[in-house]
Amino acid sequence: MIWLTWRQHRKQAFYTLLGLAALAALLVPIGLAMRNTFGDLGLTDCASQLARADVAQATRETCETGYRRFGDRYDSLNLVAVLLITLPALVGLFWGAPLVAREVEQGTHRFVWTQGVGRTRWALVKFGLVGAGVLVLATVYGLGMSWWVDPLTKAAYEGRLGMIVFDLQGIVPIGYTLFAVALGVFAGTVWKRMLPAMGITLAGYIGVRAAVELLARPRYQPARTQTFSIEGEGPPEVSRGDWVLAQGIRNPDGTVISEGGRIQCPPGGKGPDGRVCGAELGLEPGAYNWQLYQPADRFWLFQGIETGIFVALALLLLYIAVRRLRRIA
Amino acid sequence: MDVVLEADRLGKRYGSTWALRDCSLHLPAGRIAALVGPNGAGKSTLLHLAVGLLKPDAGVVRVFGRSPYGDTEGLADIGFVAQDTPLYRDFTAAELVIAGGKLNKRWDAALARQRLAQLGIPPDRPVGKLSGGQRAQVALALALAKQPRLLLLDEPVASLDPLARREFLQSLMGSVADSGTTVLLSSHLLADLERVCDYLIVLNSAQVQLTGAVDDLVAEHRQLVGPRHDGGTIGGVAAVVRASHTDRQSTLLVRTDGPVTDPGWTVREVSLEDVVLAYLADGTTQTSHSEWGVPA
Repeated sequence: MIWLTWRQHRKQAFYTLLGLAALAALLVPIGLAMRNTFGDLGLTDCASQLARADVAQATRETCETGYRRFGDRYDSLNLVAVLLITLPALVGLFWGAPLVAREVEQGTHRFVWTQGVGRTRWALVKFGLVGAGVLVLATVYGLGMSWWVDPLTKAAYEGRLGMIVFDLQGIVPIGYTLFAVALGVFAGTVWKRMLPAMGITLAGYIGVRAAVELLARPRYQPARTQTFSIEGEGPPEVSRGDWVLAQGIRNPDGTVISEGGRIQCPPGGKGPDGRVCGAELGLEPGAYNWQLYQPADRFWLFQGIETGIFVALALLLLYIAVRRLRRIA
Repeated sequence: MDVVLEADRLGKRYGSTWALRDCSLHLPAGRIAALVGPNGAGKSTLLHLAVGLLKPDAGVVRVFGRSPYGDTEGLADIGFVAQDTPLYRDFTAAELVIAGGKLNKRWDAALARQRLAQLGIPPDRPVGKLSGGQRAQVALALALAKQPRLLLLDEPVASLDPLARREFLQSLMGSVADSGTTVLLSSHLLADLERVCDYLIVLNSAQVQLTGAVDDLVAEHRQLVGPRHDGGTIGGVAAVVRASHTDRQSTLLVRTDGPVTDPGWTVREVSLEDVVLAYLADGTTQTSHSEWGVPA
């Protein structure tokens, strides 16, 4: 069985590795350049310095300027990052969907399932080996992406918990990839032809990922709230690295005056013309900036929860697939 | 008499349509049996049930006394060549022989190589690039390397040209003659199999129409020609299989249970093909006038 699996998939494995190598050849130089710039702009220590309560105003400004300059130069790479999160879906399409669908489409399941190996064992060995290969692939991808996206993440306000970058790094790519492959296998046992199976895999993958990302992820833990004074010197105070779910300006009684925005007033709360800052918005004395957020230190907890969800879904799909297999002739 | 394959009121349903229904038959050991019926009669379904690819929805099927569905150990005794001889098209014949060795406990790789060498099959070309006849031979060699006690072949010659058909059947007969392997091979054309088989199962419209040894079937059927028949009993006739009438004359194909002595009838011997066609014509065709929206 192991020999057969290797013989059947070696070409595919070769092309996958080739693709991965090409991707690395493209991304590693960009990653190195990003790191150099990051260092040259003096941003290496910014994260730890900004995290301190007694950070000097000058340091804060230097860091913010550096981050902005870094962003000007590399923000377009966030588009590349969006492209990179499609890779697990591709693995599902090209490794998962054909696993059963191609056998049935070409009729070879009638050959292989009538040899001395039962189809359940066939399925377990095949799914196991392909799953293990994909696991290695996803781990390499996750580690590589963590390294590559690190400077971009640090320069962005929302940090590692941000929408696209969270999906790229750490252990979640493993969950996504296993899920995509399992979904492909499952789709192959239902539609039994390669193209429909691939189409369903893609649609299902996008649907489930979007649902988890938009509906479930913000609720893994109760979000925290934080308030900032609306008065202060220099650039507005921000919580760097936190994942801000909602923000706004509230009056002391809690009513929301403006959603999605912030206000920064000079000390004393009076504008240059002597009016009370923000009076035209309806701010009363004692108004504050408010945000609902997931703190940065929940990154690994969230990674763990999200990976767990997708690995569980993958196992469920594989279980159903093995059961469905018994009805295919 | 050992029974290799046994079905009792066996049925398989796809949705609300029965692909096979109330199928009862016995296949004695050592026979070369032809499974004949038009396309869609349920031949593949019966073979898939016998090799354990399908689970029966009704009745039982037993191969060597075991229920084949989910019975991995029982698979060792059954060689199966599916319709269109599916093989991994990017594998070479030599690799398929290795694959078979990895997938089976009992595997005579030397036998497979010997056969393929004798037939001039190139060992290092992907089987997808071989001719249909060569591919069928590879599939047969792989099935025989299992040293099966029952060999099931689903439409093995359907896609072959006449010469390749003959060569395929000849090499099949050559290899099972000594081993005593029981063979069940299906075809929608009796002519393909008539020369090699000694046992016959006729399927039509999901049901068994006729089953028995070829010699017995030919011996017990007769064609009677005589004056127009009104449906009364005729001495020595067990059943009228098929009747056609003109104004004054009737031609009957009958199953006999004794000599037909009535001098009014001219008795003729029949060929196996006559018998099979008579039973196939007996199967009723479901009309679909209402689905087509045309008057009946």
